[in-house]
Amino acid sequence: MTTPSLSPPTLPARGNLACIGLGMTLGSHLTPLARNHIEQADVVFAALAHGATEKWLQRMHPDVRSLQPYYGEGKSRQKTYREWVELMLAEVRAGKRVCGVFYGHPCIFAWSPRNAVRIARAEGYDAYMEPGISAEDCLYADLCIDPGQYGCQHFEASQLLFYERRIDPSGYLVLWQVAMVGDWSLTRFETGPAYRQVLVDVLAQDYPLDHEVIVYRAATLPIEQPRIRRVALRDLPATRLTGEDTVVVPPAHALKPNLAIRQRLEALDKHAAFT
Amino acid sequence: MSDTLDLLEAIGGNAALRHASAEELAKTLAEAGASDALLAAVTAGDNAKLAEELGLRPMQVNHDSHTGGHEDDDETPDHGDGGEEPSQPSPPAQGGPSHS
Repeated sequence: MTTPSLSPPTLPARGNLACIGLGMTLGSHLTPLARNHIEQADVVFAALAHGATEKWLQRMHPDVRSLQPYYGEGKSRQKTYREWVELMLAEVRAGKRVCGVFYGHPCIFAWSPRNAVRIARAEGYDAYMEPGISAEDCLYADLCIDPGQYGCQHFEASQLLFYERRIDPSGYLVLWQVAMVGDWSLTRFETGPAYRQVLVDVLAQDYPLDHEVIVYRAATLPIEQPRIRRVALRDLPATRLTGEDTVVVPPAHALKPNLAIRQRLEALDKHAAFT
Repeated sequence: MSDTLDLLEAIGGNAALRHASAEELAKTLAEAGASDALLAAVTAGDNAKLAEELGLRPMQVNHDSHTGGHEDDDETPDHGDGGEEPSQPSPPAQGGPSHS
């Protein structure tokens, strides 16, 4: 089957914005539509996770501007993310077709693309968000987890500490950004074992300390395999973690039947059978 | 010598190569004229030479602040239709962690 060649409509020059996901693995995950957004853009901004993918992106467009230099040790990430938004929007306002390229999925754990798209639309510009294969997608595939089987909760790890949240230990629990858990300042990229011990203490209210948890990292280069480590919950503080690692806590309890609701549904079924 | 990024893209898009064993992949890459750095990364998992060859630098991978923490804004959750500031929870008034 061949793809027919179609000429896009000729539109008046006006800035627009597309934030796209590059996926997780170089060469494996970029969708045709996302790639075309890159190729049609006047300027491309990149917030990726690996230098090789940034180099790869530079092969697709002559004007790729890395957003990495805006991070700084001791600099609040709040400031960095606002700068990213302003950089993209300044080019949109200048009439450029702008593509923001983010690793994984541009809506997931990425503040700037959501807000850049929102602001661009509010200012009357066309703005698009194109999904990419996320770390979550890879996690399900590599660990053979179906989030529908027992249910699956996702939390940013620090949020689980800063707020009173309800964990359901009969489903999966996925914790993101555990390496920097407990960082109030938004200036650190890793905290440490003492902070992870606080997380373990919170989790221990719902899970036994010998419960096996999975430390997962998706493959970034296609010559790599996903990194999957299994450790007891009590050993999580001493386990080396980086920003790429995600912690998966499998169910600790069987699903508990809701007998009252089952009886109510049976009564409805009987009623329906006689009507 | 073949271009390393071209080879990586080819591997990423080829089902047989993406899931080949390290030995099989190294053999194919050696025949294709891959660099020593790429071969070392495949056979020994040593990405240092690859980073040197491609001129790579370490990158930050966290592109979000803590989700939640909206009490600093207007106590409304993010429904995607309103203004949203990067969220930073209010620290406790006392006894909380240091904010150096």
